[in-house]
Amino acid sequence: MQKLSYLKPQTLKEALGYLKEYGEKVKPYAGGTDLMVQLREGSSRLKDVEYLMDVQALPELRGIEVREDSIRIGAMTSHTEVNESEVLRKHVPFLSIASSTVGSTQIRNKGTVGGNICNASPAADTLSPFVALNARLVVVSVDGEREVMVKDAMEKAGKLKLAPHEMVTSILIDRIDDYSTAFIKLGRRKALAISRMNAAVALKMENGVIAAARIAPGCVFSTPDRVEKAEALIVGKAPSAALFEEAGKAVSEEMIARTGIRWSTEYKKPVIEALIQRALCRAAGLPED
Amino acid sequence: MKKITLNFILNEEPVSLEIDENARLLDVIRDVAGLTGTKEGCGVGECGACTVILEGEAVDSCIVLAASVEGKHVTTVEGLAKNGKLDPVQQAVLDHHALQCGFCTPGFLMSAKALLDKKPNPTRDEIKMAIAGNLCRCTGYQQLVEAFEDAAKEYQKG
Repeated sequence: MQKLSYLKPQTLKEALGYLKEYGEKVKPYAGGTDLMVQLREGSSRLKDVEYLMDVQALPELRGIEVREDSIRIGAMTSHTEVNESEVLRKHVPFLSIASSTVGSTQIRNKGTVGGNICNASPAADTLSPFVALNARLVVVSVDGEREVMVKDAMEKAGKLKLAPHEMVTSILIDRIDDYSTAFIKLGRRKALAISRMNAAVALKMENGVIAAARIAPGCVFSTPDRVEKAEALIVGKAPSAALFEEAGKAVSEEMIARTGIRWSTEYKKPVIEALIQRALCRAAGLPED
Repeated sequence: MKKITLNFILNEEPVSLEIDENARLLDVIRDVAGLTGTKEGCGVGECGACTVILEGEAVDSCIVLAASVEGKHVTTVEGLAKNGKLDPVQQAVLDHHALQCGFCTPGFLMSAKALLDKKPNPTRDEIKMAIAGNLCRCTGYQQLVEAFEDAAKEYQKG
């Protein structure tokens, strides 16, 4: 295994100082569930890394706080904590459900929401609900603080668009209290599988009509995104299985428009259509078949 | 490689160990503390053979950086039996013949104990969820689930 030095800053200021001083040589260690595996594999992602910086002592990376129009989730919040949080279960149930599908109990106890995003895997289970929630990363450095939309944060698989001296401290999500939400994951098996594809949707109903919609398919684009064409298609209309079938097709068309026809398209096209349709039916309280 | 001193509570005993800075918790438990009940299966957090309880929660010790457990409580399978008496999860696995080769057993025991400590009356599905991160390649899971249902009854007695 690669030889790395261990840093454990006690304050955010100290952590940012290390990042400023060592830049790409320092890698934040949050839950370790991906990082330790990459270390063992001798991953090329870590070739320049000389220091592991354990960020567990930093209070700025902890806690879940409901604000007037957003919710702040500390980057070090574990998937278990997200899943068990009464506040998140109430306000954003589909995020809670997505967290419960990550890995296994052992992985959920250590793995963090910040890590899930920062590891930048397009197959991360929590990415699609975060994108549906217009999630922003709070990124800090010695130069100050900025916000980056999660959907815009990924440069490519495995790499975020952050400067070497920056780190994520928390994630801000929209409050969508008057929406109903759904998350459906398709994995190769029930336990421990990453998402092959998933769907995160949220619907706001007014007088029997869809007043607003958010549709975020998971693992179908190279970087995660909502599909505004599909959302526009269903807004202003009454929910029905037929309408949601159309929304599913709009999503698969968008997938093909962005990624082209691949060897897997024949499989992915009907499957993502069905996942989107089912998730929308679930959110709208309609039968799913 | 620089050595660092790691202080933590291992099976309720404070220990102070000289470890490699980037050692895995699994290696420290097995090779430095000499407790070989915790097994290495896959080494990448998929099989659960290395499961230990860290601050009340089941974790895969193969993907935990040892240095990160400074000051924390870690329980391994060696910490289950008290005063020569097996923990109910251990006794139940014996009673239900829920092992063959035994390699996965310590991991299953720790996952089950972490669950029952938090929730002494779990549903069958909750037991299955709790051990979904543990793989057994010879006995299967039926006897294990039944064993932990039985063990739960003992945990409920307190």
